[in-house]
Amino acid sequence: MTEILIKNGIVFDPLNNIRGEVMDIAVKDGKIVDPSEIDLSKAIVIDAKNKVVMAGGIDIHSHIAGPKVNIGRLMRPEDHYLTNKPHALPYRRAETGLTVPNVFRIGYGYARLGYTFVVEPATPPIKTRHTHHELNSIPIIDKAAYVLVDSNWITLDLIAKNDRDLLATYFAWLLYTTKTYALKLVDPGSDFAWVYKGRGIDIDEQIPFYNLTPRDIIKSIAEASQLLNIPHKVHIHCNRLGYPGNYITTLKTMNLSSSITKLSPSYILHVTHVQFTGYKGDSWATLESGGEDIARELNRNPDVTLDLGQVIPGRPATTMTADAPFEFVLYHLTRWKWYSTDTEVDSAAGIVPYRYRKKSYVNTIQWVIGLEIALLANDPWRVFITTDHPNAGTFLDYPKIFSWLVSRKAREDIMKEMNQRALKRSALPSIDKEYTLYDIAVMTRAAPAKLLGLEKVKGHLGIGADADIAIYDINPFEVDISKNYEAVIKAFSRAWLVIKSGEIVVKDYEVVNTVYGKTYYVKPEIPEDLEKELVKILEPKFKEYYTISLENFVIKEHEIKKPAEMMIRTALRR
Amino acid sequence: MSFNKLFIILNTGRTIRQGMFMESDGKWSKKYFDEVAYIEMNPEDVKTLGNPSKVKVSTNRGSVVLPVRVNDRVRKGSAFIPMGPCASLLVDHETDGTGIPYLKSTKAIVEPTDEPLTTLQDFLKILEAKVVDIPITDLETKPGEKRVVENVSCPFCGDVCDYLRIEVEGARIVRNVGGCAISISKFLNYNKHRILKPYIRDGNRFIEVSLEKAIDMAAEILANAKYPLIYGLSSTCVEAIEVATEIAEVTHGVIDNTSVVCHGPTMLALQEVGAVTATFGPMLHLADLVIFWGCNPREAHMNHISRIVMPRGRFVEGRKARKVVIVDVRKTVTADMADLFIQVEPGRDVELLRALRMAIKDLEIEVPVVAGVPREKIIELAEMLRTARYGVLFFGMGLTQSEARFRAIEEAMKLVQELNEWTKFVLLPMRGHYNVNGANQVLLWNTGYPYAVDFARGFPRMIVGVTSTPDLLANGDVDAALIIASDPAAHFPRKAVEHLSKIPVIVVDAKWSLTTAFADIVIPAGMVGIECEGTVYRMDGVPIYMKKILDPPPGILCDKDVLEMLLKKVKELKKVSS
Repeated sequence: MTEILIKNGIVFDPLNNIRGEVMDIAVKDGKIVDPSEIDLSKAIVIDAKNKVVMAGGIDIHSHIAGPKVNIGRLMRPEDHYLTNKPHALPYRRAETGLTVPNVFRIGYGYARLGYTFVVEPATPPIKTRHTHHELNSIPIIDKAAYVLVDSNWITLDLIAKNDRDLLATYFAWLLYTTKTYALKLVDPGSDFAWVYKGRGIDIDEQIPFYNLTPRDIIKSIAEASQLLNIPHKVHIHCNRLGYPGNYITTLKTMNLSSSITKLSPSYILHVTHVQFTGYKGDSWATLESGGEDIARELNRNPDVTLDLGQVIPGRPATTMTADAPFEFVLYHLTRWKWYSTDTEVDSAAGIVPYRYRKKSYVNTIQWVIGLEIALLANDPWRVFITTDHPNAGTFLDYPKIFSWLVSRKAREDIMKEMNQRALKRSALPSIDKEYTLYDIAVMTRAAPAKLLGLEKVKGHLGIGADADIAIYDINPFEVDISKNYEAVIKAFSRAWLVIKSGEIVVKDYEVVNTVYGKTYYVKPEIPEDLEKELVKILEPKFKEYYTISLENFVIKEHEIKKPAEMMIRTALRR
Repeated sequence: MSFNKLFIILNTGRTIRQGMFMESDGKWSKKYFDEVAYIEMNPEDVKTLGNPSKVKVSTNRGSVVLPVRVNDRVRKGSAFIPMGPCASLLVDHETDGTGIPYLKSTKAIVEPTDEPLTTLQDFLKILEAKVVDIPITDLETKPGEKRVVENVSCPFCGDVCDYLRIEVEGARIVRNVGGCAISISKFLNYNKHRILKPYIRDGNRFIEVSLEKAIDMAAEILANAKYPLIYGLSSTCVEAIEVATEIAEVTHGVIDNTSVVCHGPTMLALQEVGAVTATFGPMLHLADLVIFWGCNPREAHMNHISRIVMPRGRFVEGRKARKVVIVDVRKTVTADMADLFIQVEPGRDVELLRALRMAIKDLEIEVPVVAGVPREKIIELAEMLRTARYGVLFFGMGLTQSEARFRAIEEAMKLVQELNEWTKFVLLPMRGHYNVNGANQVLLWNTGYPYAVDFARGFPRMIVGVTSTPDLLANGDVDAALIIASDPAAHFPRKAVEHLSKIPVIVVDAKWSLTTAFADIVIPAGMVGIECEGTVYRMDGVPIYMKKILDPPPGILCDKDVLEMLLKKVKELKKVSS
């Protein structure tokens, strides 16, 4: 394996409390080692003088693979026409697509940003084999997927039966069977209501047929995740997403953490793309930002984390979500293309193309919400930068978000082009907070690694960590990023050099090597008696509910290109 | 009064027996040919012609002599020929920029004749096949140990029934429990008409060569071609299709799959307006209204109705609680089970769909009859649609191959989208080949487009009417072809097939297809789902990993392995090995 010595880089490594120190980083056999272990006669030496060195970025929420992503590609031929990049064989395959890129652009695009780990945040169990096909085909990055569980008929049956242990056992089985990483709730319970009745529901409404509310569902699943001791507990897309006034539902959801008994370390729940559920006001005309209220709750409640779902104005987006009832609403607003699918037993999904406009009142409020929450949060370790790619914008625009976070001037400049009436009703113009590059390294490297429970090997540059490294051509000792924010956008849009698992994959801003990363999934251990009990229930339920056989539902290890299985010790006992 | 000639509208499509004999005795058998070489006509029309036993059928593209079968299911003025070589000689290859030839509603003249019936040899001669005599062999299967394999998935149609119980004795498959007639035929005759050795063409015959030699020569053809075509793929696994995609990219060629001549227009409509759909489960558990439009599942997807329509679901009683509506140009056997059968005039489905969209919104339909359907019936159907609890519209070639092509499907998709204002309503294309959906999916994640993907400029483009296989062949644009697990010679219009006789052709297949008559190199492959593992996508997008029941015959590899060898060699020749 390659040996690499990165000399004199300006290192930002929050997990090891390194804040812009000039130092050397050594790589051997895919891992970071002490520089003394390197054989300089054969090592590749990289001069990183005046350049920033960080661990590879980690994206905890980006729709990069699976059935809805692929239908997004199908629905948006106009997304590909002007975005082609011919192949450079044998190093790089052909790239196409902006909001719904092909697998190659996803892998290369992230690599060029210096990101090396990305999670697909919503896969329906019965189609997760499809999700893995795409994950297998995405080059360079490591990946994982969260599995949808909230509207699953078997989940609902077990919650209704109030059998906590069996519910947790079912999730353990489902996570391992689908080779996924964490439990995902999308507009909890609403897909059941959508498939059954064609509507969505709020957190305290009863879902049809079952005598349950989304609150019951969230609580039960959060408790099960505590029993399972999985690294990333529950990942929640709140009820009423996309409706004015929904910030109340979001606050209620965040508050639920107080009713969960904490059995294992790490945060209790994660609220995702909070921008979409941070709307104050009772109509689109009276829409306001709920950002301040949500940031306040985040600062008060240490058990909750958030990611932004930051809107990127002026660029197209493709909304795609398992929140099928919301996409039906959005289709009424756009009246263009609408795709919707009811997926048996476990979920539903919808897709609607969209564009966020700078001059739009509503879109400006949406843009404001994400930034208000990020800037008003006290703890950057609990706020994550996402665009809910490709819902609020594409991951390719992350550097723009970095610039808005580190530079008040960046915000002021774009605000000149935004809807002024919306800005007048927002707190954002008066916020002067500016994050540092160190904070950006926290939000995009250290904290995501910690949130996913991977902080031993990912998200840092300490000895023993995986050698996933990004080097950016910017010297923070010379450039005042607060004033010259364009330099941040430029540097972070194209990493100068990227190393993945000890191999150079990006050099001089270009992809030079097509390698394939691992797929992470968990295997929570289940006591034998509980497993037997589960099988007894599962077999008849599969026969009744699903239209494929239980045997053919199971995804085998050999179906994953490079599996990274994590055994989990659970708190399950009988 | 009798006439000596009749003008008719010619319709083509699948029949059970065509499917069964294609899968059992194979495309070169008399049994198969007899099942595709006839014309079905309305009794009155036959009488008008003086009750001839055979007729000459002519279009502006060609003519064939076929035996007549009288059938009152065919409407007067129309006729039906099963899909296959005879139908292909008659249909028009023009796609008018849509990528799909006119396979339905072809104008034809029928006249009694004394000329001899068209034979398979005539057909090959007309098309200038390179080889007319092929070394057909059956795989010898020794009886032996008895085994039962449960939960086997069926590699025939897009329903991919995954609950078959297959009983094996040694290398023989002796029983298939749960499969339909075509499935049984496919499994029990898996050994018939197999390609068992690699061959290259020498003059008008095939000679046996080693696999390495066949691969080397095939790679050379592909690497030297300016613009090769890689076609087929709907009857193999996604793992193999992914390799084929890379071959197309490396050679700057085109990759296309059979959806170009079936649900290609469905993809085009989806690009325009989206769709509202579901997997089988919600339909089974909730649907109280099921419409089959321009499709004939009783002959093409034989377990479809028994899986989704007849049984009891979680929230709905079985068949008795579901209304079944059939819309078709002919009274198919599926139509026999209908609560309401609507016979639409050939090629005018788009008008009926538009009228339905008006009727559900209570807009006034001014004409008394639309597409042969009285206004009152349209209003009655609209009311059924609006008041259903969960409606399902299944549609097939009757819509995609109609003259309005994707415009008809767009109307269907919009109708279903709009119905969701009143109730839950979904639609699902009845996909034919067991992995045609997978072929679309693989191309989408690799290139962003579902079929007809061109790499001429080193990045993917899809320009239907230009980069679609029927056009590429009919226009003579490609200079080599790699055909994988597919039989374009049997199903493409004459002018397209003729081009295959002019360019080097490589065929990778398990059985002797008619396309092998146009091949320069034939490479045998194992059968996915029987001898090879791999994933396929059911018509509703549910991916299923197929297991293998038996090992492939000695020396024979699976599609994926063959294509990987080929890719490796092509990369070497193109000097792009990593």
